[in-house]
Amino acid sequence: MTAHPAGALERELAIAVGAEHVEPTGDAGWRVAPGSAAEVAEVIRRAGSHGAAVHPVGTGSRAMKIANTGRPRVYIATRRLDQVLQLDEMSLLVHVQAGLTGLELERILAPRNLSIGDYPPVVLTSSLGGIISVRTPGKSSARHGFFEEAVVGVSAVLADGRTVHTRVAPRRATGPDLARALCGSEGTIGFVTSAVLRIHHKPESRLVASYQLPSVDAAVSAVYLALREEAAPSGLRIYDADEAARHFDAQSLPPGAALLCAATAGPTDLATCDRDLITSAVIAEGGRRGDDALAEVWWRRLHAGEPTPGPAPSLQVMATPGRLRPVYHAVRNAAAAAGATCRAHISRFDADGAVAFFTFTGGDHVAAAAERAAETAGGWLVGARAVKLDAYLRALRDVLDPRGIMNPGSFA
Amino acid sequence: MDSDRLQRELEAIVGARRVSMRPIDLDTYARDMWPRLLLAHREGEPPAHRPFAVVWPEHVREVVAIVKKARELRIPIVPYGGGSGVCGGAVPLHGGITIDTKRMQALRWVRGDELICDVEAGLSGERFERELARRGYTFGHFPSSIYCSTVGGWLATRAAGQLSTKYGKVEDRVAGLTVVTGRGEIIETDGPNRALRGPSWTQLLVGSEGTLGVITSARLRVSPAPQLKVFRGFEVDDVTTGAHAIRRVLQRGLRPAVIRLYDELDTLINSLGSGGSSADTVHVEDTRAPVPPIDTGALPAWPEAAPEAAGVVERLMNLARGKGLRQGALHAALGRSHLVNKLAGTVAEKIARRGCRLVVGLEGARIRTEVEAALTFGELEAAGARDKGEDPGWAWLAHRYAVSYRMSPVFRDGAFVDTMEVAASWERLMDLYDAVRAAIGRHAVVMAHFSHAYADGCSIYFTFAGTAPDARAAERVYDAIWRDGLEATTRVGGTISHHHGVGALKAPYMAGEHREAMAIFEAAKASLDPDGILNPGKMGLRVRIDRSQP
Repeated sequence: MTAHPAGALERELAIAVGAEHVEPTGDAGWRVAPGSAAEVAEVIRRAGSHGAAVHPVGTGSRAMKIANTGRPRVYIATRRLDQVLQLDEMSLLVHVQAGLTGLELERILAPRNLSIGDYPPVVLTSSLGGIISVRTPGKSSARHGFFEEAVVGVSAVLADGRTVHTRVAPRRATGPDLARALCGSEGTIGFVTSAVLRIHHKPESRLVASYQLPSVDAAVSAVYLALREEAAPSGLRIYDADEAARHFDAQSLPPGAALLCAATAGPTDLATCDRDLITSAVIAEGGRRGDDALAEVWWRRLHAGEPTPGPAPSLQVMATPGRLRPVYHAVRNAAAAAGATCRAHISRFDADGAVAFFTFTGGDHVAAAAERAAETAGGWLVGARAVKLDAYLRALRDVLDPRGIMNPGSFA
Repeated sequence: MDSDRLQRELEAIVGARRVSMRPIDLDTYARDMWPRLLLAHREGEPPAHRPFAVVWPEHVREVVAIVKKARELRIPIVPYGGGSGVCGGAVPLHGGITIDTKRMQALRWVRGDELICDVEAGLSGERFERELARRGYTFGHFPSSIYCSTVGGWLATRAAGQLSTKYGKVEDRVAGLTVVTGRGEIIETDGPNRALRGPSWTQLLVGSEGTLGVITSARLRVSPAPQLKVFRGFEVDDVTTGAHAIRRVLQRGLRPAVIRLYDELDTLINSLGSGGSSADTVHVEDTRAPVPPIDTGALPAWPEAAPEAAGVVERLMNLARGKGLRQGALHAALGRSHLVNKLAGTVAEKIARRGCRLVVGLEGARIRTEVEAALTFGELEAAGARDKGEDPGWAWLAHRYAVSYRMSPVFRDGAFVDTMEVAASWERLMDLYDAVRAAIGRHAVVMAHFSHAYADGCSIYFTFAGTAPDARAAERVYDAIWRDGLEATTRVGGTISHHHGVGALKAPYMAGEHREAMAIFEAAKASLDPDGILNPGKMGLRVRIDRSQP
């Protein structure tokens, strides 16, 4: 690539977005904040002509590890792309720009009795572009499924500056889902500028309940028994006894027992039906109704910003329904064998399975042993890769981005 | 490279018994159920495109070897499942090797605790469901082609079953795919969406219609077999009211297994075609709109103003009743399509006071299904639908696979019939209905039903029937119908296919559907099939191979 003087690129960026939206960064790059999709396209086109790398920056909630590729860097911040472009209340669709955060969108929808859905609010603190572009296990809801399933269409800028808009339809049979190619691609296939998302009416009723079960195994069984009966809860969380003791001071479960918190939502009859199905399942597994005040606390911590007792979990493991119990026991045993204490909760249930969050004491050797144990038991560690498919992803990127300017280093 | 050598090469891979270059096999695999090809076939014309060879692999390793060989020889590969596709997706436009997947047909395992099964691509839909039912599960995918389509075909085209409103389309039910790419490598896309970084390879490969890879097996999500089924018929004044009622149900978070709304002409034809006498008995009891008794035999009197139209519709209804028609009578009916189309919206409705039929069915776990059914029926009535009891619902269920089979007499009698399934968001749905009806109505008799509903939109299934003096003229009318119908769809912001796929039929309209986003599809093509050997000429992708001889 021709080595242009750095000043030339900076001037061009200033022409593209206005000088006040270009600032130099410490690593010989610039942080630019385009105000429209057209400006994003202009920035990418100009960066490309200088052989500069383009890195998307949302709210910055995710620490970016960017390898030094020795070329100039342009960080494109989406913070000025914060508009709702269209709200289609008839179809329950919203077209939003990438820089708006999930919580900001939720605040816009709330007065209209609409909601983005029962996703964990901690996920929604990110920009929507970030939520869509990066896959992490938290982005799921027992009621609505994986966040990507709410994405009906995506607009993105390709490496050559072309803007693509994937076709918006409830479902299609016109080839691959091209929006899903952009989702999770971490800005390597296209820079997401806006997306059309499915939204929901606020549920008519919301019920929470808590249950005590003889063991974590029994709690997992009760959850899947209820899901078999087609209960569709909006939230579920299983605490083991140690985690429950940590999260709810007053609560002392017998050793080995488990606490299950469940939220159901929807038309009142359905929310009640779902709660009763969960209750029946719990009783069938030898448990009983617990103190609902605990479930209220759980829900408020999740959705009303009440602080959750720290520290943050040391390890997240995704497991399919059949592997949840083996993974739970394997990690606990591994931690114990390494001389550490370990506690856990399991949540984020969806069709793929659920996520177990472990918190343990001890250093890196405990973490390494726990990760090994989790994988051996059939769990998936966060950020796993389908390595065999890397060559295909590389080839696909090479076609769209022969100069390799789109977030290089990602998936490396 | 001559035919003999190709035969030897393929026999070395799968053995002599599972390779054929016999003319009768090549003719058979020259087409699927694309109606346009049936027009020429009816006239006794030889197929325009035939494969060089047909192979029946039994293992993914054999598929790999065949693809590698084809890559080496630069010969196209066309995957073939049940051959029930209606868009020409399995037609070997550039010759090549047709891989029939039907000998890969094992249901390898069903994991009850995970609600996932592993099934090979060539298993027929009906046998798949039966195998699952024996174990207490269902895949919930019931297309009217279930007896003649394969699991692999469903995945390749993003198919939908009639109960998709509850169970989802096939792409909603895939946990992982095993695919042989155009590089001759096996890839597996399994793994939880949320834990794996990178784009969804599963969603890139589902619906690629053999242009990115040959699907050889899949991990699919199953559901427990339903404990309870509830079906019910309703009647609404018009399609707008009906569509509104469906939207209310879906947006309240209710998921009936099926909810279908027939427009006036489809209501008329369908009730007679399925021998729906029970539904008609209910009509007679409708005191708000007294009409002469309607049963399967007696039509109401037509007003003097439209005697000609009455005759046309009567002939069509005779056809629907399965009585068959003399060829002349059929042509007379279809030749005056404008009259029939007009009738559908005005005269028929006024005379018969039938309104539009709406069928709804729920199935699943006993308690939740009961609760959801009560809420669903209540929502429909609140939206102005009139409850017609269980019989119309069960009548639909009993005849649900029959519709496709009613098409063949029409072809036998020299006319043609086809279906166009498009979809849009609720906001655009009635625009879509009006635009496509107007576009097709210029050329043929058209009727429609709304099925496959979602919280954000719905699919419309248009059925059209037309006629022309000869096969060439029929092809011209047929092409004009598709051109006008699909252009109208794109214009109002709908998608040109909800579940039949693209194939050769809709390939010319893919640029309008995806515009610049086709670049991503082309990039995936270049990555997965660098030599362009997989199903060339389909889906609007650039053709990089041209072979008319082996």
